[in-house]
Amino acid sequence: MTDKSFTGRKASRKTTRRVQLAESVSRWCITIGGLGTIVAVTTIFLFLVWVVLPLFGDSTASEAAAVAVANLETDRPVAFGTDEQQFVGWTLLEDGTACSYELSTGAELERRHLFDGVEPTHFDVSVLDGTFAAAFADGSVRLGRVGVSVEFITDAEDLAPLQDTIADLEPGDRFAYRTGRAEMTPALQVRYHGLLAEADEPVRSKSSSPVVRLRHVVAGTTRMLLTLREDGGLRLSKLRARPNLLTGKVSFKTTDTELPYEPRPDVGEPDHLLVNELGTAVYVAWNDGLLRRYEVASRTDVRLAETVNLLPGNDGTELTVLDWMLGRTTIVTGDSSGGVYGWFLSRREGDDETRLTRAHELPSGGSAVTALASSSRNRTLVAAFADGSLRGYYVPTDDLIFETVTDAASPAEAVNLMPRGDGMLALTAGGLQRFGLDAPHPETRLPALFGKVWYEGESGPVHVWQSSGATDDFEPKLGLMPLVFGTLKATVYSMIFSVPLAILAAIYTSEFLVRSARARVKQSIEMMATLPSVVLGFLAALWMAPLVETHLVATLMAFFAVPFTWLAGAYLWQLLPGERAVRLSGWPRMLLIAAAVPVGLLLGKLVAPAVEQGLLGGNVKLWLAGSAGEASGGWVLILAPLCALGMAWLLSRYVTPALRRASVDWTRRQLAVADLLKFGGGVVATLGLAWGLAHMLDGLGLDPRGGLGFGQLDLSPTSTYVQRNALIVGFVMGFAVVPIIYTLAEDALSSVPEHLRAASLATGATPWQTATRVVVPTAMSGLFSAVMIGLGRAVGETMVVLMAAGNTPLLEANLFNGFRTLSANIAVELPEAVQNGSLYRVLFLAALTLFAMTFVINTLAEIVRQRFRRRAYEL
Amino acid sequence: MTWLTGGALSVAVFMIVGLISLVVAMGTTTFWPVPLVHLELQDGDALMGELTRVEEIPDSGGALRRLMRSANFDLTDEHFEWADESDIVAETHPDWAILVERLDWGRFYGTPTRFEHPGGVVEGTPETVWAAFQAAHGEVRDRWHERRAIERGPIGDFNAEGEALRLELRTEGLDHGFRSAPYREAEQRFQAAEEARTRRYDTLRAGIDELDALNDEYTLELTTADGEQAGIQVAEIVRAFAPNQLSLLDKLGVYLSRWWEFLTDEPRFANQEGGVFPAIFGTVMMTLIMTVFVVPFGVLAALYLREYAKQGLLVSIVRVAVNNLAGVPSIVFGVFGLGFFCYFTGTWIDEMFFAAKLPSPTFRTGGILWASLTLALLTLPVVIVATEEALAAVPNSMREGSYACGASKWQTIRRIVLPRALPGIMTGLVLAIARGAGEVAPLMLVGALKLAPELPLDMHAPFVHLERSFMHLGYHIYDLGFHSQNSEAAKPMVFTTTLLLIGIVVALDIAAISIRSRLRRRYVTGRI
Repeated sequence: MTDKSFTGRKASRKTTRRVQLAESVSRWCITIGGLGTIVAVTTIFLFLVWVVLPLFGDSTASEAAAVAVANLETDRPVAFGTDEQQFVGWTLLEDGTACSYELSTGAELERRHLFDGVEPTHFDVSVLDGTFAAAFADGSVRLGRVGVSVEFITDAEDLAPLQDTIADLEPGDRFAYRTGRAEMTPALQVRYHGLLAEADEPVRSKSSSPVVRLRHVVAGTTRMLLTLREDGGLRLSKLRARPNLLTGKVSFKTTDTELPYEPRPDVGEPDHLLVNELGTAVYVAWNDGLLRRYEVASRTDVRLAETVNLLPGNDGTELTVLDWMLGRTTIVTGDSSGGVYGWFLSRREGDDETRLTRAHELPSGGSAVTALASSSRNRTLVAAFADGSLRGYYVPTDDLIFETVTDAASPAEAVNLMPRGDGMLALTAGGLQRFGLDAPHPETRLPALFGKVWYEGESGPVHVWQSSGATDDFEPKLGLMPLVFGTLKATVYSMIFSVPLAILAAIYTSEFLVRSARARVKQSIEMMATLPSVVLGFLAALWMAPLVETHLVATLMAFFAVPFTWLAGAYLWQLLPGERAVRLSGWPRMLLIAAAVPVGLLLGKLVAPAVEQGLLGGNVKLWLAGSAGEASGGWVLILAPLCALGMAWLLSRYVTPALRRASVDWTRRQLAVADLLKFGGGVVATLGLAWGLAHMLDGLGLDPRGGLGFGQLDLSPTSTYVQRNALIVGFVMGFAVVPIIYTLAEDALSSVPEHLRAASLATGATPWQTATRVVVPTAMSGLFSAVMIGLGRAVGETMVVLMAAGNTPLLEANLFNGFRTLSANIAVELPEAVQNGSLYRVLFLAALTLFAMTFVINTLAEIVRQRFRRRAYEL
Repeated sequence: MTWLTGGALSVAVFMIVGLISLVVAMGTTTFWPVPLVHLELQDGDALMGELTRVEEIPDSGGALRRLMRSANFDLTDEHFEWADESDIVAETHPDWAILVERLDWGRFYGTPTRFEHPGGVVEGTPETVWAAFQAAHGEVRDRWHERRAIERGPIGDFNAEGEALRLELRTEGLDHGFRSAPYREAEQRFQAAEEARTRRYDTLRAGIDELDALNDEYTLELTTADGEQAGIQVAEIVRAFAPNQLSLLDKLGVYLSRWWEFLTDEPRFANQEGGVFPAIFGTVMMTLIMTVFVVPFGVLAALYLREYAKQGLLVSIVRVAVNNLAGVPSIVFGVFGLGFFCYFTGTWIDEMFFAAKLPSPTFRTGGILWASLTLALLTLPVVIVATEEALAAVPNSMREGSYACGASKWQTIRRIVLPRALPGIMTGLVLAIARGAGEVAPLMLVGALKLAPELPLDMHAPFVHLERSFMHLGYHIYDLGFHSQNSEAAKPMVFTTTLLLIGIVVALDIAAISIRSRLRRRYVTGRI
């Protein structure tokens, strides 16, 4: 039996080789291709995560490694540093000698005296920019530069004697050259690192009294020099460079300003002097915590602006370090009880004066602070403590980002962050110690990205997004909240407009529209979905925005007038004899409804001047700016739609049933007239209610133009008018969102089985009752998922908001102001972001946030939709 | 209440119809020549230009003003000027007002007063000057075209050759070391070739200089409305006509010639004038490459999901995930494209194959290949979903019938399922292509440029340059509307570009719709 088939005949031919081959090849191809495609698509998510993750990686500092620089016991340096490549280091000794040494071996390369053997009495060195000021016993001061000079040897003449040395060198090889060291670069160029040590001519000065404290700042071609002399004179000298065109020599023009300095004989000389780049603020501080701030407006306008106690506790704690951070806006202080603080000028709310404010209290180390060093790249600060520990902080966020200990736990007298932020040098009693450092993204902790941060000059912690500035020492402000808020604002305003429109349109299409027109109407609205959003954005920004700006009140009125026209039309329609109404309910009614739109627009335009005059003080722009009219006028407009909804509910709850009971034996016409009267009464009552509520709110002191601020977040619905605003975006985004919601909603509604409708109509329900009580509830989950998918599209829409929203990252709900969304922000800033920098990764985080948001929304919608499908099927 | 729902629908329909008619109206009228109006103002000044629009002066209680396109940017630093209606004393349409479209600086309006040519100087009535200019213009423009052809052809070849030689030399150095004997030899060969090339270049350059010198002798001098004299090189004049003398047929000629230029020529004057050919080319090429990637992979994935994979929880999850990817914002794909394709893959490719060009990037930057791949990823979920739906719509009874006849699985798919599902798949594909063609946000990150110097397809080996950045119609709209110094002057161009882009997208949509209706018909007949 087994060899016999069902029909009793054997298969006449075997399956050919070719068919079998094709079968297995196709199976493999499709499986591999299919799986590969699906894997590739999921890679997107993984790749985004992979780029974002390093943002939250920990910063680490390696253990100490000694740098064997010779003679350090005898030659105590006043300052030290390295080049960017951590190749050659330099030290500046107390006697005015500059030395260079190889960092890896400690071997000394060159030693040069800066001042021809004359020993300075005081030094002020700024390691960040490699400049110094030195004071001498005769009262003179010299400025200069010290560090490592890096140059590429490109001249054929210079290279010729080198040919033999470099012939076999590979990139990265190093060799001795001139008085320093050289390295072969990957492009096979010779890069030479030598000692840079040069002093300018002495600064001319009227006084020959010896200097006891000095401080300098170099900013571009201007130098600021602040000196305190033995005779008690505190002088700010502004030096402007003047290159001599003939000789090429640079001379300086000096402007001196005397400051009203009062000595403190009981305490002694001040321990710290500070001056800012513009020379407008001078700080003098003593170790007991007293700080005086002078404001220098001009040579003659100098005043003591404030006196601050930097150590408010006054428990015997002494100030040990006081210095600028990068950008010379934040002052950092360290004290003998281990406190590290950041201070800057800030104006408290309700205060006219800016005051030096303690904005940052960094996690204490427990023992006295011995040294502080600021990074030259960002707001990182390293503090050295008496117990030998070194801590790195990111100052704006008050975060401790790394911690390490010097060898033998000897306290560091001085510490220094390397130019690229990839290492530290610390000077201890035992010599120089070197640390590796890995802190690529100190500024991007989650609390810093989504929470408030106290940035320089602000009166308190705020949410700000401002990723780049004009200068190198700009403080990047990477608060994502304004962007998230902007995204929500765009979504909310566009959904307010699109959801009712799309759902109502879908209900009409599936329940009332003439059958023959259905497919065509649906197709043309679907076509709207494929319109490039750049077109929408362009029309919104360049065509609609100016148009709406000139006809603002008319536009707003249209939102009231058009629905009003429809409702009025509907009640008038009821006046038609029943038979005729039924006969005309196809095309003629549709056309009439469509005609109501221009009528409504015209009506809006007609009432606009009256509304502007009556409610908005005659000029809407002035009203919005708060300089004309009263708050109540705006409240009326804002409350009117809400009151209308409330009134509609009240009418249907209380008036309609009563009317229905009373109308049992009225004619159709009588009922229609009564309905019309009800509608008219409702409109009047709505306006009256809105008017009353508006005056109540006004009486409570609430103003829609800015009275609803919660700190930084401003929820006022209206305020200053900006041409590209949320109103425009809300409307134009409708073009993108409406078709999506419409199509899905219409699908859901038409998949409600026909027998439900038939049953409802057979029991005597009107088509409207059938639609609202039978069809819509059945399709509810389908409608919900349609709205969710529309929401997903609105969240991620880029071009429309990029072009029409003004791109200002604000936290304002104001309908007439701009905003910036996550997506637009990515489009604006990613092309300029440095690969793998903090901004680059934060923008990837923004993309990931968008991805996650839409994915969650869509999944939710999909699950609901599948449930709906099953239910519709069961029905 | 029915009225409210109907109203909503009518608004939705109005929105789409209004938008398309707005774009069509603005886009089609841009190139129609309009008369030049000469206005005398109360303060004695005169103004000549095209009337752009009349509007109410804000906060003036109904007073009107006119926006005049006054051109002559090189003289006045303005493209547009306002004239208050109340200031206008007299309005004329001078016959001899000439509109000159130049290579640079936009348009020029004036009356011809003098024409210089190698044979002498023509002065006198505008009529004679104009006639002399028209006689010479064609010949001068021909010379200019010839000159441009030399620049494009021989000089382009010459530069490409030089670049190739340099790369060859560097490759030699990288392979054998920069101090090796082969490198030295190659260096000598390079020097020799370079010398020969320099000689060749000199002859080419001489040819160009000769044409330039000839053309330089032709100058048309015009007087503007306020009496200023300005000489314009005839070679610089793309088109010149007297708008107030044109008959309807002439106007149509100008209109068509402008459209022709728009479609076939390159942009000039910071993209505000000229054509958009490179952008059309870039859009089409990018879309084609995208299609090449997206079609096989999308169809394979859908076939796998629907026909081969075991239907279970995992496949449902994958299906939901793919479905959701279709809703992920396009900018996210752009971010991925930049990070993964340009920076990650690009770095790798550059190091492997284009080491000689480093450190200048080849594939490590935005380019047409990366843009196409990014858009392919973006449209892939759309294609997968559409194909799956089309496959699902093929009744199982047909598959079973095929199996019952002894067909293998692949035979069934190839002969029964795919043909039946093809129209559905095609619809999905066309819609995906329409979406891809109109998408701009990701392109801003992965390679669309304001002005790409070279097309990604040319006569230099390897002919197709997938690493080159390109121009795109959508990006062109964004850039013109938002980054040009004078958005009012750029507006007409943006509207025509928009019309073009919408035209492409709507054409694709209509194709999809007609395919779908054919599918339905066939499907219905299939069931009978």
